This record gives sequence, structure tokens and C-alpha cells, in this order.
Amino acid sequence: MNYLNSSAMLMAGTLLAFHASAQEAAPSIPPLNDSTSGAMRSFNPAVSAIVDMYYYHEGSEEGLSHMKEEMAGFGGHGHDEEHEHGGKENGFNLNHVELTFSAEVDNYFKALANVAVSEDGAEIEEAWAETTGLPWGLQAKAGKFYSNFGYINAQHTHMWDFSDQPLIYELSLGEHGLNDKGVQLSWLAPTPVYLLFGAEIFQGDNEMMYVQEESDDLPENDGPRLGVGWVKLAPFQFEKSELQLGLFGASGSHQEIHEEGGATNNYDGVNWFAGADVVYKFDSGKAYGQGDATIQAEYFYRNKDLDLQNGTGSLTGAQDGYYIQGTYGILPRWRAGLRWEQVGLTNEEQEPGEDKEEFGESWRASAMLDFRPSEFSQVRFQLNNGDYDLGDEGVENAWEAFVQLTFSIGAHGAHRF
Amino acid sequence: MIYKTGLLLLALSASALSYAGKLNVVTTTSDLASITETVAGDLANVSSICSGNQDPHHLQARPKYVMMARKADLWIRIGMDLEVGWEMPVIDGSRNRKIRPGNPGHLDASAHVHKLDIPDAGILSRAMGDVHASGNPHYLIDPDNAKHVADDIAERLTQLDPKNAETYKENAAAFSSKIDEKMAGWKSAMAPLNGKSIVTYHKSWIYFCEQFGIEIAIELEPKPGVPPSPTHLTRVIQTIQAEDIEIILQEPWYSKKAAERVAEKTGARVVAAPTYTGSDPEAGDYIALIDLIVKRLTE
Repeated sequence: MNYLNSSAMLMAGTLLAFHASAQEAAPSIPPLNDSTSGAMRSFNPAVSAIVDMYYYHEGSEEGLSHMKEEMAGFGGHGHDEEHEHGGKENGFNLNHVELTFSAEVDNYFKALANVAVSEDGAEIEEAWAETTGLPWGLQAKAGKFYSNFGYINAQHTHMWDFSDQPLIYELSLGEHGLNDKGVQLSWLAPTPVYLLFGAEIFQGDNEMMYVQEESDDLPENDGPRLGVGWVKLAPFQFEKSELQLGLFGASGSHQEIHEEGGATNNYDGVNWFAGADVVYKFDSGKAYGQGDATIQAEYFYRNKDLDLQNGTGSLTGAQDGYYIQGTYGILPRWRAGLRWEQVGLTNEEQEPGEDKEEFGESWRASAMLDFRPSEFSQVRFQLNNGDYDLGDEGVENAWEAFVQLTFSIGAHGAHRF
Repeated sequence: MIYKTGLLLLALSASALSYAGKLNVVTTTSDLASITETVAGDLANVSSICSGNQDPHHLQARPKYVMMARKADLWIRIGMDLEVGWEMPVIDGSRNRKIRPGNPGHLDASAHVHKLDIPDAGILSRAMGDVHASGNPHYLIDPDNAKHVADDIAERLTQLDPKNAETYKENAAAFSSKIDEKMAGWKSAMAPLNGKSIVTYHKSWIYFCEQFGIEIAIELEPKPGVPPSPTHLTRVIQTIQAEDIEIILQEPWYSKKAAERVAEKTGARVVAAPTYTGSDPEAGDYIALIDLIVKRLTE
């Protein structure tokens, strides 16, 4: 992983230096000084707080978050005591309060810091600076941020069209998706159609797919340990609708500890994933979102190949999944949506010296209805029903219901496509 | 082979030359685009993000807009937070540093216009609905404001392209005199409405009504951005009956249902008129847009 390390440093250093020198003192226009946008307001960062809470009920005996850890091929791999915070409790839940600060830093960078405060403490979701003046369609970003692969990964929870994450994301990357410390370079190609390429190098600290275990029997891999690449294409320039297609892939270091029957097996190796995403949005032109429609879908395949450290042989596995969802503005300010998901169409694992095991697939169907009294508040009702393949314990069906309330105070946010 | 490559290079450089001669201007709304076209004449390629049928409050930062912004030499916005939900993601996404706010390639058209509805900062609250801290952003529907905007655009084009300064200045001056000339006709056509009250759907007509001496008694929206509720419509009906109001005025993108329900009960006339150029075949440019609004209100 040394090449990753040095190339990342080189890339970041060169870009930043070039960036600063490339912008000679351009004549600038003094900001408007009307009665309301005084100097104080324009220098302060935009501040907003988004509160996300929900009432939740699920009907399984075992507890759905526990079931998800047991899911054949996806579930727990040794350390089960860690991710307690991911579980939703029946009853009232305060997901988190998201505090966001953003501003132009200077003539060269813009920056954003986003802290998610929950009852268990505060967590830095994002803290990054991004260049604003690189030439040739380039843009560089450094800090902690959401990877821009796929479509839903880069979105904050309040931007999702459903109250919960797609199953494949939750099972592969955990509740935060791929959110890590690193650098990103993206390039808007000078083509007549929208074509955006991105490369990211991350520390590789994901809680599910890019784990570094603490054990004397495992090598200590230096960071950065994860590389991601993606491309997005918007081939048409329709007046009322937009279609965006994407491809992505990532590869990085991963470790697992398996404890079975008193024996401890330590594995170290590579996990990679690849997939495709598509999103279509239609703007009806009517007021209050009536008649607007979105369709989005993502497919995700992951493959791991880990070497046994205390012996010979390797642990290999492959899982996949997809979701497809659509929403439609049925009335002014009201949207209805449907989502269908499957995981484990490919679902296999092979441990050293054993036969390859094939596991079954799981599915989930969801329906939601949301109401937005204004741009700053939203109430959402959602029902999920799914069959979860728990391996030896068989398939279990579970219902879930959400009533979610999201509201935002402070600066008027702007959302990306 | 060499010959073919040579031809291709020649063609490429030719297209680059013709391209380099013209400024690329992207405006957020179509009325801004029309005024810019008038001021720039043949010296610029002008395009608008909003088509005229779209409400500029509620756009998404689509890849299409990023592509438009990418090649712009000048970006002109209405400002006053009208485009706050999508402008920066489009500019960031375009990686075009020329058009970032604060640079000569970014023009806020509201700089010198006459503003209305500036809320008292002491009581400003989101409970007031979709109000804008720096005032009501629908200022361009007042032809006097359009003259200020044309002057600002001419000044900025001059800064970016000094050799054509005279043309820009002349075109802006011609636009202003055209407005002055037309104003007499518009005023006399609108004379029967002078001093009268009307009802509008959204608070997007206040500048126009002030210019032509029309009172706005009440809006169909109980608060800006909140769709009409039955209780509020009852109040609208009472107001219309009490003040003998004859006209309910709204933009084409709002449903006519609420207005028609009120009209049925009161006998008022529902007038749908565009506020942006290009949303109606008759509103091809800014002057034609005002002509059309006047015609719809007075026919």
C-alpha cells in the first residue's frame, strides 16, 4: 500500500501548490452592500441544524438489527459487540442533530464541517476543504467526506427518499456508508455531454468492509488503504428531465478475525467492490412538486480474498445486491414512493480447507408517503416488509414501520443533483 | 492522412476563432437572458437556465445546468436569494472559476434595482413563509427595474469586452428609451385598473402592480410558498366581495383550481399571465412579455 500513500501525498501537494499559484490576482467585484447583507453576514459561515427523529416499530421476535448481523454471507464476522449504536429501538428514536457550517475559506477553497450530534455523543460526519479555482475542469477535496461513488452514498440521511438506507448499503458499508478521511480528485471532461471522473484515496476505516483488527497475529497495514474510482455520465440535455448513469469500483485492505470452536483464525487481504447506478428525475414544472418524479437504482457487488495468517489457505467471499426506487409528487407537497431491494443474488463464502458455501437471498419491499409543509420540514410515513435469509435458522419475515420527522433551521441549504 | 489531419486542425482552429470572438453569457432566468440579448446584440451567445415555464425557486442543480455554466464567461443571476437552492452547486460543479461570486464573470442583477418588501430584520422568521431577507426578488417585472438591469449588464459586458463598450452602452440606452416609449402606451392601456385592487396567487406581482398603480388586496397563498387552504380561500372570497375585485392574476405554473373556485363564487376573472419570457409564444422578449401581461389584464 506504499504506492497509494506516496501518490496521494504527491497528488495533494502538487495540486494545492499549483492551485494557489495558478490564480493570479484577478480583479474582484466588491460584495453588494445593501441594507440587509452587511459585512458581518457575508463573512460568517452559513450555519444550519437539521433534526431527524422517528417513531419506529418492527415486529420480529429476534430483533431486526440482530437478524441483519446474522444474515448468511453478510452478517457478523467475529466482533459482534461493537455496532450497538446502529440498532433502531421500537418507539421514539432521535437519529441525530446535524450541525453544518460552510463558507468560502478564501480565494482558493471552500469548506464545510458537519457534526452529527446524537444522544451517545458527537461525530464528525464531514470536515473538508475543496478547491474553487483549479483549471481544466479539475477539482480537489481533502478531509473527511462521503465518497461520491454511486448515487446515495454522498447524500446525508435527510436527503434520502426513504427513512432508511438501502439494504445493500447497510449490510456492506454500515449506517454511515463510505465516509472516511482522504483526498478526492475529480475531472469534468471537456466533452459535449456531462462526463465526470473521480478518484479517491481513503484511510480505509470503514466499520464493515475495510476493517483493521487489533491483533498481534495480523500485520499492521499503513494507511491509506482504500482507493475508489467512479464515473458519471449525463448523456442527454432534455428540458424537463435528466438521466445520469454511473459506474464505480473500489479496492482496499481488510482484516477479519474468526473465532470458531476455541480456534482463532486471523485473515488479512483485499476487499473490492464495483457496481453501477442510474438516476432519472422529471420536473413537471408544476408548483409545490406536484407531478415530479424520480427513479433511481444501484447495483453493488463485493468480493473479498483474505489470507489466513496463522496457517495456510484463504477466505474468499462474494455478495451482491441492488435496489430500485421511485417517487412521485401525487399532490402539492405530497410524495409517494416505492422501493424494491434484493441482496445475496450472489452469496458465497469459502473458508480454508472447506467446501464453498452458497447462501440464499433476501428481499425487502417498502412504501412511503411524505409531506413537506415547506422546504424546511418533512413528515414521512414508511412501511417495510422483507424476507431475511439467516442461514441455518432459515428465512424470517419482518415488518417495519416508520413515522419520521425532519426539520431544518438556519441557512437555506442548496442540494446537489 | 497528413492532409486530413491538417484539414481537421484547420477546422478546429477556425471554430475556436469564431468561438473566441463571442462572449458566452448564462443567465438564471429567461427575462434576464432577453435583456442581455438586447444589450449584447450579436456580440454574445446568451442562454438561460430557467426556460420561462419553470419556477426559478424550485430547480435542481442538474448536470445540464453544469454543462451550461462550464463555458460561461458571464453568469447573471436575479439574486436576493431567488436561486439559493441550486446556484452554488451548479457553479461549483462547473469548475468555472470565472463565474464564482466576487469575480467579474458573476453579476447580481439586483444591485441597483428598486426593492420592495424588505422584511424588518427584527421580526424576520421562517414562520412568515418563503420570504427573502433582502426583499421580494420578483423585481424584473417592473420595466423601470429592467432599465437598471440593462445598464448593469452593459457595464459588466464592457468590463469583460472593452473594445465593444460603445455598442453595449448604445444598446442599453436604446433599450431604456424603448421602455420609456412603450411605458406611455402601457400606462394608458392600464389606466382603467389604476387605483383598483386585484388578487394574485403568489407575491410575485408587487413590482408590476406598484408601477401601474394597482393595489393587491390579498394573495391566494396564505403565506409565500404555502398553497391555498380552504379557510384562506374563504377569506379571499370575502375580500373580493367586500372590495368588488374583478381580477385574479397568476403565473401559468400554478394550478387554476383554487382561482376558478373563487371565481365561481365571486364572478372575478382568472388571468394567467407569464412573468418570464419564453413561457408563451407571444412573450418572445422582455418588451413582448410586458405587452402580453398588459393585454391579458385589459382584454
